[in-house]
Amino acid sequence: MALIQFENVSVAYGATSHPVLSNIDLSIDEGEFVCLLGQTGCGKSTLLRLVLGSEQPSAGRVLIDGVPHNQPDPTCGYVPQKYSLFPDKTVMGNITFGPEVSEFNMLTRLTPRYFRQRREFRQTAMQYIRRIGLQDADAHKYPDQLSGGMQQRVAIAQALVNHPRILLLDEAFSALDPGTRRDMQVLIRQLWRGTGITLVFVTHNTHEALQLGTRVIVLARETPNHGSHVALDLTVPSSCPTDEVSRLVARLDSAAGSAREPDEFTSAIGDSTPRDLAAATNLLPNEI
Amino acid sequence: MPGGFQLVHAKPNRTAAILLSWFLFVLGIGLYVHAAQKRHQGNAEDRVVPTIPHMLHSTYDAAFKPGEDDEQTLGENANMPQRFLASMLWKDTKASARRFFYSLLLLIPAVFLGLHMGLFPYVGVFFCRFVLFFDKIIALSLLPILFIAFGIDELSKIMLIVIGVTPTIILDTFNLTRSVPQEQVVKAFTLGAGDFDVAYRVILRQIAPRVLNSIRLNLKAVMLFLFAGEMIASTDGLAYRIALLRRHMGMDVIIPYVLWVALLLFLVDVMMRLINRKLHPWFREA
Repeated sequence: MALIQFENVSVAYGATSHPVLSNIDLSIDEGEFVCLLGQTGCGKSTLLRLVLGSEQPSAGRVLIDGVPHNQPDPTCGYVPQKYSLFPDKTVMGNITFGPEVSEFNMLTRLTPRYFRQRREFRQTAMQYIRRIGLQDADAHKYPDQLSGGMQQRVAIAQALVNHPRILLLDEAFSALDPGTRRDMQVLIRQLWRGTGITLVFVTHNTHEALQLGTRVIVLARETPNHGSHVALDLTVPSSCPTDEVSRLVARLDSAAGSAREPDEFTSAIGDSTPRDLAAATNLLPNEI
Repeated sequence: MPGGFQLVHAKPNRTAAILLSWFLFVLGIGLYVHAAQKRHQGNAEDRVVPTIPHMLHSTYDAAFKPGEDDEQTLGENANMPQRFLASMLWKDTKASARRFFYSLLLLIPAVFLGLHMGLFPYVGVFFCRFVLFFDKIIALSLLPILFIAFGIDELSKIMLIVIGVTPTIILDTFNLTRSVPQEQVVKAFTLGAGDFDVAYRVILRQIAPRVLNSIRLNLKAVMLFLFAGEMIASTDGLAYRIALLRRHMGMDVIIPYVLWVALLLFLVDVMMRLINRKLHPWFREA
């Protein structure tokens, strides 16, 4: 049985407005790394929010493990593009927030067990801080004292520390510079491989989608009056020659309804498979 | 003129900044001294614009001479702090401060109501229209009703402050709660938080510095209602004293009292800013 299932899902805001998504039928298996691709406004983030449970379909059902998913819960970890960290908490506070609120309510936080366990939470958080490439001293910094890339690293650690079954990233790297973005791509691939988590990644970037995902789903709309539908559902080959990558990029761009020039990031990386990306970042291919 | 000097980018140096920032104070004092001298040249007994020495003398009397009730109890050899604690100024300050802080305490439920209204749609729907309507009622127009309902004791004065300032604080907190990005709320739920974790551990902590700022900016309104209540129905307090001395044209005490109130309010403002900075080191004002 698929982990995430969309059954004829449509989304429209208000009775008279044009639909955002129309008749989406989709299933995502456990352990997949799915990249959602499409032009701005095509409903990628809406699709993500449906999985998250923070938005409800106007028609159809969204099931997780066969059960309708109606509200956000710890099944899904979430890393948005902005506001991904709590500004009032340090890096340590952000990462330990999940375990603390999951285990202790307002009253049980007054018991000695909480203080004992808090030490464990902090030790685990410190392991995550090192794993995402931050220094121990960064644990006591507030989000506004971190760079954009560091903030997103912490946001990913914050989401993963609770061991969600699904991790949803909504254009999480789009505000980062090309170098930081490449580091983040390496990190997310590593974490995905290491945890076996199901990952849904929203991006504009065709090359990024091809390099990261095991599957790329392209959303597109035929006319402005119609909601987006799945224009292409592509399983990414584990390795393919450069000309094949170019062909896939052209195919994905065409499905998304765009023929774009490579952006700064894609120019820097070029047409590369995860293997090439590994070489570029001095990591073993299986680390990616 | 496109190539001309841009005043927007002209930054005063430290000396200029100090001189400019104190200039209006010096000018105000200078004008006052001049006006007082002029009036006293015409009439040595003038009470409308008392001279600075006269005001200092009256201030000393108000701050270091016992009030009428304590004249007997305070001995001849009492030291300065003892004299101050028995003075009219201290007693009035204490009475006003007590009402002021009770009123501030009563603003805490207003913060919680605003928070819940902003976060929980049912609470919002239930209270929002009522609070918006209530906010439009001029609190001072309720004064006769309050005196009839609660008498002329402390409660009516505190209720006046609460009615006057509470809706503003509720609506401010409500708007601040609504302005917290939805991503933060969703994120908290995905991390296992419950409704009240989101309310108190996510939203309240994020809006707390702005709520404190809102209360700080409303301190003047709190004092305004406090003064209105004290002037109309009270037997002690700073505003009571000012109203009482007005009848005797006691400008030599009224002016120092007004400055004393401004100084106290300024100190409370500074204290709240320091507390805010200490409690919320992550907060950067926009």
